[in-house]
Amino acid sequence: MKSLFRPRSAVLSAVIAAALVVSGCSSSVNDSAGEASGDCGSWAIAMHAWNGYTASAQVVAEIAKKELGCSITQTTLDEGPTTYDAMEAGTIDLIIEDWGGGRWQEWSDRGAVIDLGDGGNVGLIGVYVAPWMAEKYPDIVDSKNLGKYADLFKNADSGGKGAWYEGPPGYTTIGEKMVSANKLNFKVIFAGSEAALIDGFTKAEANKTAFIGYAWQPWTLHAKLPNLEKGHVKFPANDWVDAATASGLTDYPSTPLKKLVSKKLNDSNGAFMTLIKNFKWTNDDQNLVALDIEDGATPEAAAQKWIDAHADIVKKWLGK
Amino acid sequence: MPVRKSYVLLGSVVVWIFLARILNGRHTLQIATYENTFFTSFVGERALSIRGNRTESTAFIYFFNPIRGVIDGFVQAIRDLIAVPAPNSVIPIIGWLGVIGIVAFVVFATSQWRTALLSVSLLLGCGVLGMWQFTMDSIALTLAAVLLSLAFGLPLGIWAGLSDRALRVMTPFLDLAQILPTLVYMAPIALVFMIGAASATIATMIYAIPICIRITSHAIRTLNPAPVEASLSMGSTSSQTLRKVQMPMAKQMIVLGINQTVMAALSFVVIAALIGAPGLGNPVISALIIRNVGQGFVAGIAVVFLAILMDRSTSAAAKRQETFIPPSAQDIKRKRLTLLITGILAIVTVFISRTVLWAAIWPKEFMVARQVQEITNDVTAWILENLFIFTNGLKDLISYSILNPLETILSQSPWYLTVSMIICLAVVIGGVRTGILAGVLAMCIVVSGLWFESMLTLTQTIVGTLLTMIFGMALGIWVGRSDRAARSLRPFLDAGQTLPAFVYLVPILGLFGPTRFTAILTGVIYATPVVVKLVSEGIRSVPTTLIEAATAAGSTTRQIIMKVQLPAAKKTIVLATNQGLIYVLAVVVIGGFVGGGGLGYLVIVGNSKPELQGKGLIAGACILLLGVIFDRIMQAGARRSS
Repeated sequence: MKSLFRPRSAVLSAVIAAALVVSGCSSSVNDSAGEASGDCGSWAIAMHAWNGYTASAQVVAEIAKKELGCSITQTTLDEGPTTYDAMEAGTIDLIIEDWGGGRWQEWSDRGAVIDLGDGGNVGLIGVYVAPWMAEKYPDIVDSKNLGKYADLFKNADSGGKGAWYEGPPGYTTIGEKMVSANKLNFKVIFAGSEAALIDGFTKAEANKTAFIGYAWQPWTLHAKLPNLEKGHVKFPANDWVDAATASGLTDYPSTPLKKLVSKKLNDSNGAFMTLIKNFKWTNDDQNLVALDIEDGATPEAAAQKWIDAHADIVKKWLGK
Repeated sequence: MPVRKSYVLLGSVVVWIFLARILNGRHTLQIATYENTFFTSFVGERALSIRGNRTESTAFIYFFNPIRGVIDGFVQAIRDLIAVPAPNSVIPIIGWLGVIGIVAFVVFATSQWRTALLSVSLLLGCGVLGMWQFTMDSIALTLAAVLLSLAFGLPLGIWAGLSDRALRVMTPFLDLAQILPTLVYMAPIALVFMIGAASATIATMIYAIPICIRITSHAIRTLNPAPVEASLSMGSTSSQTLRKVQMPMAKQMIVLGINQTVMAALSFVVIAALIGAPGLGNPVISALIIRNVGQGFVAGIAVVFLAILMDRSTSAAAKRQETFIPPSAQDIKRKRLTLLITGILAIVTVFISRTVLWAAIWPKEFMVARQVQEITNDVTAWILENLFIFTNGLKDLISYSILNPLETILSQSPWYLTVSMIICLAVVIGGVRTGILAGVLAMCIVVSGLWFESMLTLTQTIVGTLLTMIFGMALGIWVGRSDRAARSLRPFLDAGQTLPAFVYLVPILGLFGPTRFTAILTGVIYATPVVVKLVSEGIRSVPTTLIEAATAAGSTTRQIIMKVQLPAAKKTIVLATNQGLIYVLAVVVIGGFVGGGGLGYLVIVGNSKPELQGKGLIAGACILLLGVIFDRIMQAGARRSS
């Protein structure tokens, strides 16, 4: 019975749909929008999860949008192969801070990912205890003595051993090797995220509870816990580059962090490429922006604040 | 007979615990995360060579890459339309005001003005929360996935509805798809179709198509046979019967199938972000990583809004098919007039959204995201500070009382002991054939080299299932016995079933930190609604005559529940336990993101470290094996108990 009016409403809908299309074609807001996309083109920046990365990427994005009129998309992606794949597929053009230490080699051999050199930040990974512990047990920061303090670190999740918190999945971690090579009575727990580590260190410091975990520089946590570096557990000097061949007896290497670009961006030779080529700043610069973000500023606002305060550096990056 | 069975079970568990104590720490097959077995490194190499060949091998050039291109283009076209700046433009083809106008018109045309009003307010809500573009991206992806799923699912479902043979061939795949945790097939799909919208769409389709097939075939099979026979006996061809009799009769059910397909696709929006899908998943995942409960909450609410919008608009369309009262001439006229007016309004909104910037891009002035975030973060901080003793106490209580002892038994005892126990369990509950199957599958896990991690995941799954059953049975009995309870709990159950687990993983992580307990609790929350639904249905299906007889004989309420309703609903309860276990397993592995460890962590780490890629893929397979083992045992048990 309903068929009585269904075809008509279908016709009606069709008419309206057609009208929608027509009205759609008739006008556009582009002219009134002001910042029309220039010849810079549209580029996609991979957004990795840690705050320092967000800082670098957002500064680049803001400059590209405001100064060059590029259209920038930012895609949250896991560090490592997924992102390299995306670059090969053409959906990502830039990694501003890669800690991978050459994990992109396969992709680079195929010409899909191009190494643009250092971004100025130097990454240093280490094993840290909560700083108050370094004061109370001065010898704990020597890797040789860690074993005898293992009992302090026991908790519900560590199976009768000390709990040793490792970095997020994509990060270079050799905690398991360190534990087994040094015969330490610890259980390695993969905390899963940067935030979990920040939480672990700050809570431990505030409540004077025990905590040992993965930490690094540049990292905003150093600004929040100025003594954190005192809790840096010293292992014998580094003797490896590739984590796969590390013995676990020696410390992490320091890693100059890389800028990686897609083939498309590398071939473009446009204004955005110039910006990326020239982009270089220090750990302190990055921490300034990252800390603002952590304290609740939007990445956009934090980046803009730094850009406004460092016009000369930005000018240099733009090649002006 | 059942009494003896439970004695055998109890006896074997005691023996098992005893032996596990004695042999503690031997042959646990534990390997470090960075270590590969022969098998995992072989798979890893294959995977790497697939990556390397993506631009050269013929399978990719002529098959996978074109599929990716087409789907990517399809999704991108919808995104250009409503979500992202179209090519050579700074705004989408249709701005937010236009989208709202069109949605209002379409929902009004297919259902009624009340639903249209609800849809509009939900969309406005998403905008106010600062999630407009993410929401539109999610809608675009869901729309693409649903359209493609229906294009495959409806014909296959009709086929399976008409032909017994087709159904027999499809059933094993449908069963498998139902117990396949989403985390498992993301990596292989991303390997072949790369990160991006295409992979996400295909992964969503794998999840949604089986549901569509199931409901469509069920719709056709449960039709009243009389009209079909009448049509055939009057000389209609089978295709005429299908088009003129079966399809119209099954229409309402099929629309319900579309509704379920949409919901399935939607429950995927968050996890799809892991393989580069645009949309609401991105803020949720990033909230998870930076542990910003407020941000996760805001994005989570937008997901909820979107779910309600999709559910109400499609189910309202299904309901409207029900009315058989012919509309009067006046009704038709009024409807046409209102349609015309709303249609014109929709056109006007689209027009405005293309000419004025405030109607094209959601204005920053109309956002409360920041405030909502801050309030949520303050509340969480307060809870963390003041209820730490409770949250931590609860976590420690569960960890020390159940989790740790069980983990010791499962992971620290020799593998052959646990495999024997699984076989023993399978034989007692499901019979010899189930025992053989379980044994073979368990040995596959052993050979894969990931036995130890599998046991960690199994521990969490068992603890999660136990908790789920405790809550699920209690609530299920309550809902099954009281209509009031059913009415008041219904919205929560519905919401729980459609909400992606990631949405509440963020606040749980905030409360309980990066621990196994966080993973387990998330699984419990995810699985409890489905258990409650099944248990209450089981309780309700107990014949009233039985209960009346028991009441007449002077039984107390407690006696009726324990002696009549539960035993009569035994089969449903076994099935509910099975569903609960599968659901918990699917979510517990996500806990790898938040310190849960086990197989889930290996899947995740395999995504980001090339040298562990093989291990990640195998870990996915092990999750599936665990699921299949317990699914088979329980299904066999349920069959036997009926």
